[in-house]
This record gives sequence, structure tokens and C-alpha cells, in this order.
Amino acid sequence: MGIIPDFLLDYISVSTYWTILFIAHALLAVALLGALSHQAMSVLMPVRAGAASGGFVTRFRAVHGASYAAAICVLWIVTFIFGAWIYTKYRIYVRIPIEQAGYWKTQGVFELKEHLVTIGLGLLPIYWYFWKNARNPEYDSPRKWLTVTLAAMCWYSFLVGHVVNNVRGFGS
Amino acid sequence: MSTTTGMPSATAAKSLASSATFRTFATVFAIATPIIYTACEMQNWPLFTYHPGSNRVDLGWAPAVKDEGPAMYWYGWTATTLIGAAILGMLATMLPEKMVRSIPLSLVWIVPLAVVPILVYALRFFWRW
Repeated sequence: MGIIPDFLLDYISVSTYWTILFIAHALLAVALLGALSHQAMSVLMPVRAGAASGGFVTRFRAVHGASYAAAICVLWIVTFIFGAWIYTKYRIYVRIPIEQAGYWKTQGVFELKEHLVTIGLGLLPIYWYFWKNARNPEYDSPRKWLTVTLAAMCWYSFLVGHVVNNVRGFGS
Repeated sequence: MSTTTGMPSATAAKSLASSATFRTFATVFAIATPIIYTACEMQNWPLFTYHPGSNRVDLGWAPAVKDEGPAMYWYGWTATTLIGAAILGMLATMLPEKMVRSIPLSLVWIVPLAVVPILVYALRFFWRW
């Protein structure tokens, strides 16, 4: 079931393999969420140049957004690939029990997560382009709202993934 | 030696970032992706179907096979979407610059948000109490 490189199973169990994959997916998602949150705050509530260094919130939004763009693209793609890989296991060992238990809305919000992460994938090239041309005022508005859109998608996906893991994740 | 190895990729990224052709491709790719994906989901147009129970892949849409577990279409929808959006993006690069410039850039974030209610509606099977 699913795609597992055979040579790995000489060293670890099938369960350990999926656990490692899932933890890697979750950690990548945390990194992506943090980077996108910093960047979205930096465009929604930019710190004025020359402003005195403030407290936690000011420092949180005072990041140089452009330097995050390439890392965010890479993190989105790698997290997507890990998620797509785990999805084979999810479809049989998680979704079917969720349906049998009648948690339809839980399944529905997860389906929407699948849709959003694929759509987000398609937004990455223009997102990268906007940030690489951060000095061009023509792109200020689309860059700002595209970044906020991606951050919202990422937050939704992260929270839904967390909820589904609580419903039937580790130890179930 | 090692300081020069990163130069070509940095130069390539810089040239891509200043390319009007890439801007056109990326703009159309971003607008087309949510539209094509929503159509794929609603009409069920996967490029291929994956059967995780047997590790089998069928071209196009295929039903679940009895006693072999479920069929998965999301991979196929994603493939159809990315290929379709890439083709449209490449075709757009052949259009006159004036025509391409008339595409509002705000569509790159408005269209993805606009399809969300449609996708929520498409999932109505799951919204039961």
C-alpha cells in the first residue's frame, strides 16, 4: 500500500517510515506557516522606515519580505510533495475510518485543504516574480494580497491537518 | 571554486525575474490554475486515476475496483491542472504585449478566492448534520 522504497524497510518498520514522513511534513508546514505569517504581516502592517525598534509585534512584522519568497516557494513545493506522498496512506487508513465514524464535515474540510494547496501551487511563479520585483510599485497591491491569500491558505491547511490528526492520527 | 558554483543559478533567477515573458506566463498560469482545477473537480477530469490498494495507475478516470480499495483522483486533477495552466501560460506568451498588459494583475489573487465558494459547494456531500 502506497509508495515505499523497499531498501528502507530493511532498516525501519512500515509504521516508522510513515511516522517519519508525517513528522517531516508537519515540520515543513510549521516552517512554511511561520515564514508566510511573517511576510503577510510585513505587507499588511509594514514598519515605517526609521521607526524605533518596538516590541514583539513590531519585530514580527519588520522582516524583509523579499528574502523569504524563494524559501516559501521551496517549502510549499516540498511540503506539498510530502503531503501527496502521505495521502496514499491517509486515503485507506484514515479517511475510511473517518467516514465509517460519520465525521463527514471533518472529511469535507480536509477535501477543501487538498483543493487549496493545489491552487496555491499554481500561484507560486507569479508570487515569486512579484517579490523579485519588490521595488516595482506596479506590483505592490497584487503582491500584498497574493501574499495574504497564500498565508490564509497555509493557515487553513495547517489547522485542518492538525484537526484531522487529532481525529485519527498518531496512535490510532 | 565553490564560490562560483552558485553563480549560474543566481544569474538565471535574476534574468527570469526581469523577463516580461515569464511575467506573462506566470500571470496566466496563476489565473488559469484555480479555474481549471475547479472544472476538473466538478466534472471529474483526472489525467490519471491512482489505486493505492494495488499501486495501479489508470489513464483518465477509472472507477474503484472491487476488493482493491478506493480510487484516488486528486493526483490526476492536479496533473491536468498544472499541464493545462502551463499550456495556457505558454500560449499567452505568444500574444501581443499590449494585450497581455491589459490583464488585471489583481486577478491572480481574486480568482483563487472566487473559486473557494464554488469548491465548498462542490463538497456539499460532506456538509451534513
